[in-house]
Amino acid sequence: MNQDREARRQALLGFLRTIQKAGRPVESLSDTDRLVASGLIDSLAILQIVTYLETTYGIDFSIRGVSPEELGSIGGILDLIEQEKK
Amino acid sequence: MLIDLHCGELIEPFGGRRWNRADIRRQIALRVGRFQELGVGPHDRVFLLFGNRLEFFAELVALWKCGACAIPIDARLTAFEVENLARAAAPKLVVVDDATPAGPIKVLEQAGIRTVPTADTGSAEAEAARVQLDHDALMLFTSGSTGDPKGVVHTHRSLRARWAGLRDHLPAAAFARSLCMLPTHFGHGLICNSLFPWLSGCDLFITPPFRPDLVTRIGAAIDEHAITFMSSVPPIWKLALKLAKPPQRGSLQRVHVGSAPLSAALWNDIRTWTGTPHVCNAYGITETGSWVAGLDRADVPAEDGLIGYGWGAVVKVLNTDDTSRPLCPENECKTGESGYVWLNTPALMKGYFRRDDLTAKAVVDGWFMTGDIGFLDDLGRLVLRGRERDEINKGGMKIYPSDIDAVVERYPAASDVCAFALDDPIYGQAVGMAVVLHDSGEEAICGLHAWMKVHLAEHKMPSRWWLIDAIPRTSRGKINRDAVKAACQQKPPLDIPSILARKMSP
Repeated sequence: MNQDREARRQALLGFLRTIQKAGRPVESLSDTDRLVASGLIDSLAILQIVTYLETTYGIDFSIRGVSPEELGSIGGILDLIEQEKK
Repeated sequence: MLIDLHCGELIEPFGGRRWNRADIRRQIALRVGRFQELGVGPHDRVFLLFGNRLEFFAELVALWKCGACAIPIDARLTAFEVENLARAAAPKLVVVDDATPAGPIKVLEQAGIRTVPTADTGSAEAEAARVQLDHDALMLFTSGSTGDPKGVVHTHRSLRARWAGLRDHLPAAAFARSLCMLPTHFGHGLICNSLFPWLSGCDLFITPPFRPDLVTRIGAAIDEHAITFMSSVPPIWKLALKLAKPPQRGSLQRVHVGSAPLSAALWNDIRTWTGTPHVCNAYGITETGSWVAGLDRADVPAEDGLIGYGWGAVVKVLNTDDTSRPLCPENECKTGESGYVWLNTPALMKGYFRRDDLTAKAVVDGWFMTGDIGFLDDLGRLVLRGRERDEINKGGMKIYPSDIDAVVERYPAASDVCAFALDDPIYGQAVGMAVVLHDSGEEAICGLHAWMKVHLAEHKMPSRWWLIDAIPRTSRGKINRDAVKAACQQKPPLDIPSILARKMSP
């Protein structure tokens, strides 16, 4: 894993800790685990993830659009950031 | 009495299923036959432990034809909560679908209550006309799922009064193709967003509730099905505005936003996204059959908290919330002066189920005390400014702090508790909790979390916990939840995820 991705991963985990439900530690999730299905966040928290990506990485979702699937896992979110960075 | 069935078609826009009027009549007749075979009759109560699909509406009308009272239940409730509601309502049977969780079904069957899959209709069609206008038609539990349940009972008379009141004020053509994305177990989604248009002959498009993946496709669905009307709640709109492409074909004629106040900024954003100026707050309370006030013509400048005029209701703002004595003209606030919002409507509930004490605390001389704070402006329009109701409005889902308190109080290590509303950027409000524990070690905290998971539905679980030495009370021993919240927010909440992680690690 490259250093940029790992740094973004740690920042993302820090953010998810602020919005997660109490039931499960975010560190226990793999990159492919589903955030909602795992019980970490509830379904509408996707809006908070979108806001985080807009403010942290300047991604404009009104232009690119998004499917909840893309934001469904830690790995999916990191992939989306990398696509937008290209 | 015969139930008029001038209903429209039923469609699941994302699932592709559709029932035309002939299908609907047959599906209802099959279920009337099944209910008759099971001995369901006048004054029986039946739980509907599922919703938001075509079969739900067939079950509902079939129960009404048999003279029974339908009780839609939120299928997200825990087995403990469903059992508690069943103990209070004593349903004759429970109708479920393939998505109803196994836990509640098991406890109901253990309690001797028969469950019937909605798909099991049998093949015998039947007709029935056993309903009378003052029979109980619908019971909606608004609180008390973990303690003393509070069931709002509507008769056929009060429901018809609600729909007649709406027809007097709202343009019928705008509802021709109505979309409901709200749960069918609460008043806004069921009585007004679904049954009002459908039983007025309009087509109803029903979706599963609160699904972000569907919300992101909503613009395309509106275009595909030429939707003319929809209602929703602010968090869903925030999601749609951010993630969904707007509809392009201009079919929407009217949009309601309810269950939580609408700000002027969000109001204008919704107008832009939907392409119609006819967007308004629909002020509704389960006890008054939901939508009870709003704007007939909604193309007026947006204002924070602006509601409008009574729909089949008289709206008064009074300087008292006292329901123990008759109201008098001196109680009326002047124009622009804030006070308590009271409502008088023929659509008022019959009362709270077997809780005359609670009914007496909410209603005096036919006037219902809402607990909301507002004023009447120069045009006589209601403007809401706040609430004094003891509830947490999480994105339109009303959560009662006492339900959470009741669960925590039964945990052996807890000596006191107070749940309260926290500000939340997405939902408007979220659940916070202050708790006093005899044993404040991590073992006890983890034990309390596990206890709450078993007894409390997921959406009611507090997102922030504070461990404190004592819950502050007034000199009369009452909890002031705002004061508890203020005291808690002076310090950081418990890091529950880390505590649980340490507990889970070897």
